[in-house]
Amino acid sequence: MADNGGCVTLRGALIRDLLDSKHNVLFDCDGVIWNGETAVTGAPEVVSLLKQRGKRVFFVTNNCTRPRENYVQKFSRLGFTDVAEEEIFSSAYCSAAYLRDVARLEGKVYVIGCGGVMKELRDAGVPVAEEEDAEPGASIYTCPLDPDVKAVLVGYDENFTFMKLAKACCYLRSPECLFLATDPDPWHPLRGGRVTPGSGSLTAALETASSRKATVIGKPSRFMFDCIASQFDVDPARSLMIGDRLETDVLFGSNCGLTTVLTLTGVSTLEEALVYRDSQEPQKKHCAPDYVIESVADFLQALDE
Amino acid sequence: MAASKCTRLTVALSRHLLDSVDCVLFDCDGVIWRGDQAIPGAPEVISSLKKNGKRVFFVTNNSTKTRQMYADKLDKLGFEATADEVFGTAYCSAVYLKNVCKIDGKVYLIGSNAMRQELEDVGIRPLGVGPDPVSGVQKDWADVPLDKEVQAVLVGFDEHFSYMKLNRALQYLCNPDCQFVGTNTDTRLPLEGGKAVPGTGCLLRAVETAAQRQAQVVGKPSSFMFECVTNQFGLDPEKCLMVGDRLDTDIMLGSNCGLKTLLTLTGVSTVEEADANLKSKCPLQQKMVPDYYIDSIADILPALQA
Repeated sequence: MADNGGCVTLRGALIRDLLDSKHNVLFDCDGVIWNGETAVTGAPEVVSLLKQRGKRVFFVTNNCTRPRENYVQKFSRLGFTDVAEEEIFSSAYCSAAYLRDVARLEGKVYVIGCGGVMKELRDAGVPVAEEEDAEPGASIYTCPLDPDVKAVLVGYDENFTFMKLAKACCYLRSPECLFLATDPDPWHPLRGGRVTPGSGSLTAALETASSRKATVIGKPSRFMFDCIASQFDVDPARSLMIGDRLETDVLFGSNCGLTTVLTLTGVSTLEEALVYRDSQEPQKKHCAPDYVIESVADFLQALDE
Repeated sequence: MAASKCTRLTVALSRHLLDSVDCVLFDCDGVIWRGDQAIPGAPEVISSLKKNGKRVFFVTNNSTKTRQMYADKLDKLGFEATADEVFGTAYCSAVYLKNVCKIDGKVYLIGSNAMRQELEDVGIRPLGVGPDPVSGVQKDWADVPLDKEVQAVLVGFDEHFSYMKLNRALQYLCNPDCQFVGTNTDTRLPLEGGKAVPGTGCLLRAVETAAQRQAQVVGKPSSFMFECVTNQFGLDPEKCLMVGDRLDTDIMLGSNCGLKTLLTLTGVSTVEEADANLKSKCPLQQKMVPDYYIDSIADILPALQA
């Protein structure tokens, strides 16, 4: 089996051999098993068949906008049967897990983020600093700070404002205050070729303001895999990572010692993969996938037998 | 001047230095004022320099005021100065967009009313100033209508910065023909009492990250700020002194343009930092070493009044 970032196109017997050698299959979501509200054709069947074959399936997504229970509903809505909440690892869920289990936070977290992150934090029992309504005349120079805040978490936030940036920066002046980011994605694709700013752009603003680097929870950081491994028995050598974004999914797989597959139904292209493959820099080489498929539906030919 | 660098400016050296220049450029925050208070002695320095026949200019990365607004502040704080002696990034960005980027239509602006004013004064139409929050659900606001006449995105200090503005800027910047300019990269606004407020640099980094593009930056240490002054007033760099409080903007600008440089210690940078740069092998750090340093610009008064 070629496990060296060679961008080998997966077809025929190679697919069957690959699946036989792996027990765990990790899927990114956006651009891999669905695009927006539309399932990638064949994806629900692939997931179902993998499970029938006794494989463990996990979903690992940097998308921090929904709590896990919403994801369960989305899976169901899009025709994926029997996806359990425990199989879903989102950056929101993992950020909460990090604060509770790794950082063992004693105090509150100041959050720049949306409902999904707030819900996961509450479900994990991590106290969140309340956002007071802006009083008239409140300015960036006089806003009140909560003395119990011991961590700042930044992620995608449609309600991001200068005031939030200023407050977070104030909290981060204390070196004991943790600085976490849900994910590094600079932008996300939307329907119709549009894009929208991602968590990475908000994190960049805060890193610049505070002169500190955030600890990033989401891919390509290892943490989400460590989170899965803390709950399930996963051997990296018997695990496959399927994603659509070279700099997050494939690099994540590489960082965790997983075999990586790039699917072409999302963000990255084959051309980009080949550029990484042929690069001399080690960090760039790690963004080159071991295998490439057009779509996850390509697995059906091996699974249908 | 002498090859030695980072020398304390004594009274004797002051006289010598002042005799060798005919123009002095001052940064503002941390040099001639702090917040709304003049540095004691600073107004007298400015008027003495002018009495001694030196030209004086004010060069600041702060984008929140027009030249006239700066002139008003200078006047209020007791400085003798006119609007045409002030070069702030609101004004210089407008000049840059017009003369260098050749923009004659519309610009999407993340910035202040002052920036809007300066752009309008050179005949460019800015869109986007003021509060702009997200409303509705993603599928409503994600497809923001784009104005096809927008030729550039300009980012400066904006207290109304929001995700929606970031989103609009990103949409425009997806077009590679749309130019991308930032006023400056300062990470913090200078403020009294040790408080620090995020600066334009943070907002610019957010837009650069989302768009995966680098902005053309107008403010110090970019030499454009000096070019702006010399294009209007015809200066000889070797006879110019740049006085500032920041090694990475003011002093670097001086190095980039071949000016003499004086670091004042009433603001951000310290002598220790300057010395560390002097001893370093890094060429970039070497550009951030002043010729001279002084505790406060008031300390050159004795040389001027002699």
